[in-house]
Amino acid sequence: MLSPLILIQILWTSLATSSCFVLFALAFALVLKVNRIFNFAQAAVMTTAFYAAYTVVGLASGPGWAGLLAGVAGAVAMSAVLELFGFRALRRRQASSMFVFIFTLIVSELISYVAMLIYGTWPATIFPSLFWPVTLVGTIAVSQWDLMALGGTAVVLAATFAFLRWSRTGQSMTAVADNPDLAEFYGIARDRVFLAAMLLSGLIAGFSMFLYGTRAQVQPGSAIELLLFAVAATIIGGIGNLAGAVVAAFVLAIIQNGSVLFIPSEWQGFLLYAFLFLAIVLFPRGVRLPQRKRLVRRTPAPALGPAES
Amino acid sequence: MEYLYTLAILMALYVILAASFNFVIGYGGLISIAHPVFYAIGAYASALLARDAGWPIPLAIVAGALVALLASILVAVPSVRISGDYLLIASIGFQLGVLEAIKNIGWTGGAGGLTNIPALLAPGSNHAIYVALTIAVAIATVVLLRWISRGPYGRAMSAMRDDELAFAALGRNALAMKVAIFALGSGLAGLAGGLYAHYFRFLAPGQFDILQSAALLTMVVVGGLRSTWGPILGAIVLEALPQAITFLDLPPSLLGPLQGILFTGLVLIFMFARPQGLIPAGDIWRGRKAMATDARRA
Repeated sequence: MLSPLILIQILWTSLATSSCFVLFALAFALVLKVNRIFNFAQAAVMTTAFYAAYTVVGLASGPGWAGLLAGVAGAVAMSAVLELFGFRALRRRQASSMFVFIFTLIVSELISYVAMLIYGTWPATIFPSLFWPVTLVGTIAVSQWDLMALGGTAVVLAATFAFLRWSRTGQSMTAVADNPDLAEFYGIARDRVFLAAMLLSGLIAGFSMFLYGTRAQVQPGSAIELLLFAVAATIIGGIGNLAGAVVAAFVLAIIQNGSVLFIPSEWQGFLLYAFLFLAIVLFPRGVRLPQRKRLVRRTPAPALGPAES
Repeated sequence: MEYLYTLAILMALYVILAASFNFVIGYGGLISIAHPVFYAIGAYASALLARDAGWPIPLAIVAGALVALLASILVAVPSVRISGDYLLIASIGFQLGVLEAIKNIGWTGGAGGLTNIPALLAPGSNHAIYVALTIAVAIATVVLLRWISRGPYGRAMSAMRDDELAFAALGRNALAMKVAIFALGSGLAGLAGGLYAHYFRFLAPGQFDILQSAALLTMVVVGGLRSTWGPILGAIVLEALPQAITFLDLPPSLLGPLQGILFTGLVLIFMFARPQGLIPAGDIWRGRKAMATDARRA
């Protein structure tokens, strides 16, 4: 019998676990919105971030903050390399979207093989232990990691949306996402905006991969599977809709984690892929909720006929 | 010698896969990367029918191809309404979902793999027979697909791919054509799967994952999309080159990643140095004279 306390505990844990996935989805959705690329090379960025942090903390016994910095720096550097030497060249050649897709997939594989060669195929974690101190809040077990992940995610989300809303570069990203040719006509340097979007995406992916690596084991090929979750959330949330991707990632993660109540845990992965397939087949333009009726102030339209003399 | 036979069989199977995949994405314009999953469905269906139901192996291989063909129709009917990047992502979801299901179902052998698959050749037979068989099937596949793509149906496929709206306006059924292309390509992949299963006699879901998709896609694009010989050359070159380092006597922990790095590195070099592919497709619907005239003008 499922008690409300167990249900609340599962919901809380699902919410905390979903935080990394929300940021993976945000990073993916941002590049898709601005650069119009299904960037599967984000898996390469995530792999770089994890192993940079692992090298500093797990292998060199450095402090956690140094691992975070190394992870984020690695991710941003990989994003810059991808944009400057990959996507920019492909854009100049007017490569088809399939060609760009293959490029992103191959880069992800390449980085995964490089990680395999250097670090082996065994799963690794950034800190030696995956256990975090737990406090009881009422009857709900809240771990220190849950608070760190949720707090960090909230800060990153707020900072990203504030950056896009109020900073000059963020506004340029929105302009380029809406109409790249018109944006360029108004003097916005498209290449710089594409680079900025990639760097911001790398920053978010690096931070979220650090969070993920402090809670779960990672192998060189793990990132591509994690990324598929972000793809599903982005599609369900509606392409070009960052907030939609964030909400969809939260909901998907909670459903996936909560599904242990109804299906065996080994089928959780299947659930994700079923979401991905059904989301695209049934909702290729994302899930659109019915819009609320807005109060619109109606003003009489001016007469367009010839003026009376 | 057995190593060379195995390599030749793998190359022939990849030629079947690359040619049929080229038929789907190149000639049909259906951007799906789920081709390896139909290879897997054909392989598993054939292996299970022969092992557990006692079917004769040749019949099981044909049945495996038919199961893959039917599965592809079931997927294609709802999926081909969408196109481009969306179809591509949907195909990833389908592929990984099926593989995840295979991992969790007991009678498919689960994540550990399916073993004790009966061999097509009797013990002690000359493996050259199997090499000849797979090469013959590969040649038949290429000839069949070339014949279709260069005939009246191929012209209709080309019209549908280039302008679906105009194609439909002429009263042609684009959806039926897309499903037919997808089904034929997937059925051929299933046939390759059956041939694979009864030679290597072991199947695991990991053999058909997204890396396999990337490898096939690469063979087609690096070889030359929509050309007859390009994917064949792509399959042979990209299967053969990473094998070069197997003679270095490296430990498996190094050999696997190094082969992967060599493969992906080569692909990246080809993508930037020769983006049109090793054998670029000509416009097959124009006469050679017209193309020669264009070349002279240029």
